[in-house]
Amino acid sequence: MFIMVFLAKRLAQGTLIVVLVAFVIFTLLRVVPGDPVRLMAGGMAPETLIEQIATEMGLRDPIPVQFGRYIASVAQGDLGQSFMRPASGAAVGGASFDDMTRSERARVLDLIAEAAPKTLQLALLAMVFALIVAVPIGVAGGLHPGRWPDRMALYLGSVFVSLPNFWLGIVLALLLSVKLGWLPAIGYRGFAYTVLPAIVLAVEMAPFIIRTLTVSVAQIMRQSFIDIARIRGLSRLQIIVRHALKNASVPLLNLLGVQFSMLLGGVLVVEFIFDYPGLGLLTINAVLQRDFPLIQGIAIVTSAAFVLINIAVDLATTAIDPRLEY
Amino acid sequence: MTGDSLLSVQNLCVDLNTSAGSTAILRDISFEIATRQIVGVIGASGSGKTVLARALASWLSPPLGISAGRILFQGRDLVADAGLAKRLSGREIAYVGGNPAGALDPTMTVGTQIVEKLRAVRPGISVTDARKRAIELLSAVRIPAAHQRFHEYPFQYSGGMMQRAMIVDALISDPALLIADNITQPLDVTIAAQILKLLRELANEFDTGVLFVCSSLPVACDASDRVMVLHGGQVVEQQPPAALVQRPRHAYTQGLIAELPRLWDETTPAPMHGDARQPIMSVRGVSRSYSVRKPGGLGKVQVQAVRQVDFDVYAGDNFGVVGESGCGKSSLMRLLTGLEQPDSGEVLFEGTNVSTSSSAELRRLRRRFQLVLQDPYGSLPPQSTIGAILEEPLKIHRIGSARERRARAAEVMNEVGLPPSLYHELPMGLSAGQRQRVNVARAMILEPRLLIMDETLSALDQTEQGKMLSLFERLQAQHGFTYIFISHDLAMVRRVCSRIAVMYLGETVEVAPNRKLFFDPAHPYSRALLSAAPTLEQRRYRPEECLLEGEPPSPIDLPPGCSFANRCPHAFDRCRLESPRLRSSGEGALSACFLHQPSSQRATTAELLR
Ligand SMILES: Nc1ncnc2c1ncn2[C@@H]1O[C@H](COP(=O)(O)OP(=O)(O)OP(=O)(O)O)[C@@H](O)[C@H]1O
Ligand code: SF4
Ligand SMILES: [Mg+2]
Repeated sequence: MFIMVFLAKRLAQGTLIVVLVAFVIFTLLRVVPGDPVRLMAGGMAPETLIEQIATEMGLRDPIPVQFGRYIASVAQGDLGQSFMRPASGAAVGGASFDDMTRSERARVLDLIAEAAPKTLQLALLAMVFALIVAVPIGVAGGLHPGRWPDRMALYLGSVFVSLPNFWLGIVLALLLSVKLGWLPAIGYRGFAYTVLPAIVLAVEMAPFIIRTLTVSVAQIMRQSFIDIARIRGLSRLQIIVRHALKNASVPLLNLLGVQFSMLLGGVLVVEFIFDYPGLGLLTINAVLQRDFPLIQGIAIVTSAAFVLINIAVDLATTAIDPRLEY
Repeated sequence: MTGDSLLSVQNLCVDLNTSAGSTAILRDISFEIATRQIVGVIGASGSGKTVLARALASWLSPPLGISAGRILFQGRDLVADAGLAKRLSGREIAYVGGNPAGALDPTMTVGTQIVEKLRAVRPGISVTDARKRAIELLSAVRIPAAHQRFHEYPFQYSGGMMQRAMIVDALISDPALLIADNITQPLDVTIAAQILKLLRELANEFDTGVLFVCSSLPVACDASDRVMVLHGGQVVEQQPPAALVQRPRHAYTQGLIAELPRLWDETTPAPMHGDARQPIMSVRGVSRSYSVRKPGGLGKVQVQAVRQVDFDVYAGDNFGVVGESGCGKSSLMRLLTGLEQPDSGEVLFEGTNVSTSSSAELRRLRRRFQLVLQDPYGSLPPQSTIGAILEEPLKIHRIGSARERRARAAEVMNEVGLPPSLYHELPMGLSAGQRQRVNVARAMILEPRLLIMDETLSALDQTEQGKMLSLFERLQAQHGFTYIFISHDLAMVRRVCSRIAVMYLGETVEVAPNRKLFFDPAHPYSRALLSAAPTLEQRRYRPEECLLEGEPPSPIDLPPGCSFANRCPHAFDRCRLESPRLRSSGEGALSACFLHQPSSQRATTAELLR
């Protein structure tokens, strides 16, 4: 019962957020300089033709009208069509403006549906790598505050934080892929292509996980219920696993939620370096080409994903610590 | 009644080891505990009671350490064999502390954790059996609806229930020795009395020996077969309670017993009444509710914190308001001082309605009545000197020149017994007693007529409390103050208050003169309070007759009828249908109970309810 009301409330809030995001992006795209029709039609196209295309596409109507039209079609599951890309793949050049018809252009939804799973796969793998490394280090640091595991956690965290991701990406690609030939690096032709960028992302995420865990585990180990558990007769392992880690997982889950959202929205640099065809690369290209419908579509999908991740994290943390419900 | 020797402590010494060297905390402690025996330990704060309890539970951690002596448990030395001590803890030797609030993992149900602990120390037991046993014991300690409560989280338990759950947790492994460190400390008197009764039953039923650490002599004497007095880390004497009270040998014990306030000593004079024709403050049918979020759901519910409170305070009175935690004492105080407005009813101060006064009027009124707060550590601004703190009210009311203000501050400091040298000091270095004196001085600097004391003395120890009370008496004689004491301490109220209002669940259930309340209370709840009060005297009201099980219902869903009906030993049909109102019960007292309200009054009550 409670959970249904909670979900309904949060989903309603979430929808509002997504619409607001869409509106802001929509407006911004239409006030920044740079006419997409000009890009689409090519520099050589006559002014009258550009005006004609723009009017046909509704780009000269007032912004609220355009937005209303847009959001109505989004509500029906239609994110529109890309300005630039043909249904077949690569971006269309400006020169071929004359033979372009709207039906040939790729649907935004299809483009996103193609890219999103790759990014999701990358994000999940990166998270798994990061957790594998960070959890033992972070927990050990939290259990021995002030001693060597704590210091090691601190040093490792600082080292990881100070590695720039583009530099690390290039070095790893050179080393593991070019020199040793263990892993493929550029493009995407199968799961193996995800590993290298995932490692780079994991190195980026790990220090935050380590830090959060050291702090929260250390703080929970100082709580009286942990101290008392010992004279209640629980073993140290039981105390750590069943009580300390369980309590420490709440701040960790919150952090992972934020990190995951960030991964979905913006692995721009890493996807660019590795030419990994995920949402990040799609976004970069869409922005460079002023592909309004695509940019809007990506914004809507990622903000919806943020909202869902947030709800999932809140559900998970209240399941762990029921006090949060109140 | 008691069995074989279970624990024998021999010449135990505990040291505090710091870089500066080691200091002795416990010296040469020796005593025995037999099966089914309850040994009480009392002593002043800092005398080493907790250190002793922890040493026996093998729970000392650096910088504290045992430096000499033996702790023989069933003949085996725990000091020499740390492995054995570890195996026994939680299993044969159980410990319950005074702060149940943080004792369990907040993210797991109480039941799960009790089962977890039982299976950790007795691995042979199946989950189903462990669960059955836990629910059995939870009902044995009278947790209502135990099978349901089993699945609730620690934060859903009240303090009293949590303490009982911790006792279950300790006893579930059937330990031979239970160490209880100040377990009744955080509880209200009626709940504490229930726990003590329970402890005795459990010790007999489960053949457990108990070390009962306590900071109150009456409570320790009530609970124990033998009482050990700890003073400066040494056992200065141990005797059965009766003998200890009659023939204390050590000067510390003698002093403690002599200072103990008495409830039913006929020679304690009841403080004089004020003049009944001159009410200084009148409270008329005041109610106040707060809306809070519904636990576990959505929407708001009303908490009825104060309901239909009625009393008059006469000029020159020492008026007392007593009741257990959560009964609405502090909410009432906020209404009396105009910090909040009542939903209905009115508060009159010298004829002016405090509740409807404008803020300018209220400020003028506040010169004439002042509030002295509970917490000596929270209520003084840390960055201001004592002098500045005292002069601030004068500045706010624009009274006198800087020189005059300073002279006035020095004057009140002298009156409350603060050395003049403190004028330039910050509050940081002050003791709890001194802080409370600063609070009193600040309140009286405007020469008010009425002082409202909200638990003003609760944070002080017995000796310091006595000094403050004498100070209040002297100030009253000199300045003709009227006091309202809001307190849960019956002994204090008995000593200083001329008239007393008893509150239960936001209502005044009885308003009576001192003598009448203590010697012939009319309301069953007043009798329950008195029967549970910690005292060494012959009780006038036996807990067996007056004290019923259970806790106050939540002020959120109040049952119809008398709010005490679910715990009242005299409840009858009418009590569950109608709400009793305050009616005269003789000797100038009022009480809200049908027992002495003939049913001919039924019509009037029904009218009132309309
Ligand atoms: N962990 C510790 N580190 C340093 N000193 C300590 C520690 N624990 C206790 N002490 C000191 O040991 C002495 C005895 O303290 P203890 O807590 O046993 O007093 P107590 O009798 O339990 O007092 P209370 O009635 O306030 O609970 C005090 O002087 C205290 O300062
Ligand atoms: S009215 Fe009834 S229930 Fe209430 S206190 Fe009196 S006898 Fe008890
Ligand atoms: Mg103590």
